[in-house]
Amino acid sequence: MLGQKLLPWDYGVRNLFRRPSRSALTLGGLTIVVLLVLVVVGFIRGLEKSLAATGNPNVVLVYALSSGADIENSSIPGRTPALLSASVDGVRRGHGVEYVSPELYLGTRITTAGMTEPGMGLVRGVTTTAPLVRGQVQIVEGTWPQRGEVMVGRLAHSKLSASKEDLAVGQQVTFDGQTWTISGLFNAAGSAFESEIWAPLEELQTVLKRQDLSMVAVSMDSLDGAADVELFCRERIDLELKAVAESSYYAAMQKHYKPVRMLGWVVVALVAGSGIFAGLNTMYGAVVGRVRELATLQAIGFRRRAILLTLVQEATLLACAGAIVACVVGLLLVDGTAVRFTMGAFMLSVDSVGIAVACEVAALLGVVGALPPAIKAMRLPVVEAIKSI
Amino acid sequence: MPLVEVINVSKEYANGEETIRPLDEVSLNVNEGDYVSLMGASGSGKSTLLNLIAGIDQATSGEIVVADTDITKLARGKLADWRAAHIGYVFQTHNLIPVLTAYENVEMPLLLLPMSASERRKRVEIAMEAVDLTSRASHYPRQMSGGQEQRVGIARAIVSNPTVVVADEPTGSLDDKTTEQILSLLSRINEELGMTLLMVTHDSEAGQRAKRQIRLERGRLMENGKETTSAHLRTA
Repeated sequence: MLGQKLLPWDYGVRNLFRRPSRSALTLGGLTIVVLLVLVVVGFIRGLEKSLAATGNPNVVLVYALSSGADIENSSIPGRTPALLSASVDGVRRGHGVEYVSPELYLGTRITTAGMTEPGMGLVRGVTTTAPLVRGQVQIVEGTWPQRGEVMVGRLAHSKLSASKEDLAVGQQVTFDGQTWTISGLFNAAGSAFESEIWAPLEELQTVLKRQDLSMVAVSMDSLDGAADVELFCRERIDLELKAVAESSYYAAMQKHYKPVRMLGWVVVALVAGSGIFAGLNTMYGAVVGRVRELATLQAIGFRRRAILLTLVQEATLLACAGAIVACVVGLLLVDGTAVRFTMGAFMLSVDSVGIAVACEVAALLGVVGALPPAIKAMRLPVVEAIKSI
Repeated sequence: MPLVEVINVSKEYANGEETIRPLDEVSLNVNEGDYVSLMGASGSGKSTLLNLIAGIDQATSGEIVVADTDITKLARGKLADWRAAHIGYVFQTHNLIPVLTAYENVEMPLLLLPMSASERRKRVEIAMEAVDLTSRASHYPRQMSGGQEQRVGIARAIVSNPTVVVADEPTGSLDDKTTEQILSLLSRINEELGMTLLMVTHDSEAGQRAKRQIRLERGRLMENGKETTSAHLRTA
């Protein structure tokens, strides 16, 4: 029976404590490799989650036909929301209010109390219907902004490269020649809104001397509602509008960031590859010092396969320990770390996928790192190996 | 029927362009209960012959039959299984596993054999008692003297009650007093436990302790001044 011919589990475990400093160094190296993998996967997952969480399939974005995919450059007539409400059936309604959110969206230079140089931030002028359409937005501290006030997303500080304290409730921010007091903080389930600053639409239009809008977000009763809005946009050629389901809009954004994600996976592969070479080096060292012992085990009657398995077991145990340490460090220090990108900011996400990838990489490091030196040791004739020092 | 039959066995090594032939069609019979010492000058091939009989080296030609099995015909994996069941090996340098206690080292060969944990425990205790090391069972090799380590090595070799115990220079790394203890222990194993013993030694005094002394000279086996050819063995 195979089970009866394997070396004792304890033998592999105790070998890890045979040279504690070498094992500790290897563990440290493996932990760093797995942690790097976790960070890169966390980056990819965070970016994916941010874009996925932002897109609601029931919400249709209406913006200028001429703006391409960039809503910041979009300018549509201020009467568009009213026309939409009057012309399109199936707009969601609750408590007598239609879920239509007129919005002015722009990137602008923003200064906080603690900043000497202004940072590029994202400002969205909104009305009280915005939270109805953007259901994921929740005020976690303070109140909805009144005149002269703004509400900030929980990652807005990261987008601005400012401290969290600078964007606390009661603090002030300055943009487009006006100083605004922060009335509240909101989160939005990890979506891109979390890196924005929301101001009252009318006041923002006044400050910017604009009467137009960037877009209108409409929440429909059903998924089919997008077609009705599209039809409206095609019929009203004079308005030069385009309608896109919010989920499709952000799916297109995901495609836009595909090269970044691909690069991320390439980095994962490179980091794992370098880790394997490091592991190989360590295992060669560990096996070279035990050639006689391994030959003795063969002389006693243990098959090469059993000895090979115990060497793989040792390396894999060490790699798994590295994975556990890396996952704990990742969850404590990496998970939730804010990262800026062009569309705002998102948080690195150490989730089940990241942990699974880290564990797979660790297992790979253990197995692939141990096999070549183990096979090399097993190829030595027993009579030669038994006399080695 | 001899327990071990070595029939016209040759062994060649390639050393660069030169071919070395430490064993040249040697033949040898070892009966059950024999205690044979293999002596000879350095490089005479005595350890090579021992390793061939122990199944850890491959003969270039000839047959080696141990307990009715021609081990030259066994594949590597089967040969490992065969070693586990039939051979107890005592090494010159003890070769204990440093991360295992004396008890665990002795237990290792038994892990390869089908037996219960209680049967294993009983056998290890008997073997440890046979080498008078019961009190050191929980000690690691680094906590023991060279003589004690070798006694553990002997216990490991006899614990599975093998067909043949082979010992390659078992006293080669020990002082005189410890050498005497180990040689006495090997004699006891042969006489009291009835185990068949093959010992390689360069020490003629140690060799004299065996029941049969065989010398290797220029690739040939000599016993009592005569070569042990296969023809001789057949007529013997």
